[in-house]
Amino acid sequence: MSEPFEPKIVAFVCTYCTYAGADLAGTSRMKYASNVRIVRLPCTGRISPMFILKALQKGADGVLVSGCHPGDCHFAQGNYHARRRWTVFRALLSFTGIPEERIKFSWISAAEGAKFAELINGVTEEIRSLGPFEQYQELQKIIETQSTY
Amino acid sequence: MGIQEQYRNEAAELLSSGAVKLVIGYGEGSTSDRRRPVFIRSADETARLVLDANCIANLSGYLVPEGLLSDGKSVAVFLKPDGIRSVNILAAEAQVNPDQVVILGFDIDGGQASPLPGRKATDFAPLIESQKSTGLSTELQQEADQLELMSATDRFEYWNQQFSKCIKCYACRQVCPMCYCRRCIVDVNQPQWVNTSSHTLGNFEWNIVRAFHLAGRCVACGGCDRACPVNIPLRLINHRMSKEALDAFDHFAGESADQKPVLATFRQDDPETFIL
Repeated sequence: MSEPFEPKIVAFVCTYCTYAGADLAGTSRMKYASNVRIVRLPCTGRISPMFILKALQKGADGVLVSGCHPGDCHFAQGNYHARRRWTVFRALLSFTGIPEERIKFSWISAAEGAKFAELINGVTEEIRSLGPFEQYQELQKIIETQSTY
Repeated sequence: MGIQEQYRNEAAELLSSGAVKLVIGYGEGSTSDRRRPVFIRSADETARLVLDANCIANLSGYLVPEGLLSDGKSVAVFLKPDGIRSVNILAAEAQVNPDQVVILGFDIDGGQASPLPGRKATDFAPLIESQKSTGLSTELQQEADQLELMSATDRFEYWNQQFSKCIKCYACRQVCPMCYCRRCIVDVNQPQWVNTSSHTLGNFEWNIVRAFHLAGRCVACGGCDRACPVNIPLRLINHRMSKEALDAFDHFAGESADQKPVLATFRQDDPETFIL
């Protein structure tokens, strides 16, 4: 009997909102899927698209990027800049064939612990149903198995 | 008097009057239909200048090297409308001072070069405005649409095949007037964001990163597409980025020297349909 597929999801979150929201989910004893690995950053404006590529390179099946709601940024405008960047980057990933469903973006405030737990569960389920991101991981395997590189 | 003669004379006049210290133009290339950039510093050299329908390269990138404009003197450069837009972007990104750039504008239409009146980038604003209202290339759009119709898996496979050809020569970066970073992200090795070997994953990452960095900056001069020795259709990926910038943010690259770079600005009501 094979193990059920457990997706690896990397979440890049800002420390002021989504991370605090995740904290609230924790202190409120809410249960959510343990598939998510949270990386805390100062602001969504700090989240470079390179992070998303790196996560995929290292075998993530899905990526979640989350920060403060528009208008709530600790640094006033970081999330507005991030939003533009994601709009463009998302179109680019989609155009190169990286499924949009694997890269999720959300706004979660420090008060939205329940939304955080719900979102993580939802995203985990969705990516579980998509299965592992084999197409991309295959590319990494080629490097590991071929010493010529 | 043909356009070539006319522009040679203008270049000679600019140089002999001391209005510019250098003219960047086109000269004979290695074959009869190729042109290579020439750098003319005195009026009697202007006979080397060639101007015809083969002068397709975007020469604006030659304005960027460090020190060229630091003495405050002006440089004249032969530019098509796409090149003029590039100069606007370089000015907006504080890479060149637009007052130091004298534009010898021309356009290629129906296999012939025709003069464009104007000297400063601002003189061409109505032309660029009309280009914006015409919209992006419909030919490229059709090609891109074909890809968009595929499933994500097939599209990934398509680009996988294209990028597997990449030999990481970085000709696309070298030829691009927008790629002026002194230290490119692929040359950064702590941390190593992009695999530098030319295996498909590294190629994939490199091409994604390059396209992202050109989002809202590419003027579709086609330099990378022509320079690519393995014919990766870079035009498509760049076109898709330009389209996104135009559709989502009404940003047409290089409209003016005051235009804020698309990813360095925002509006509070930017679209965000995809955010949960």
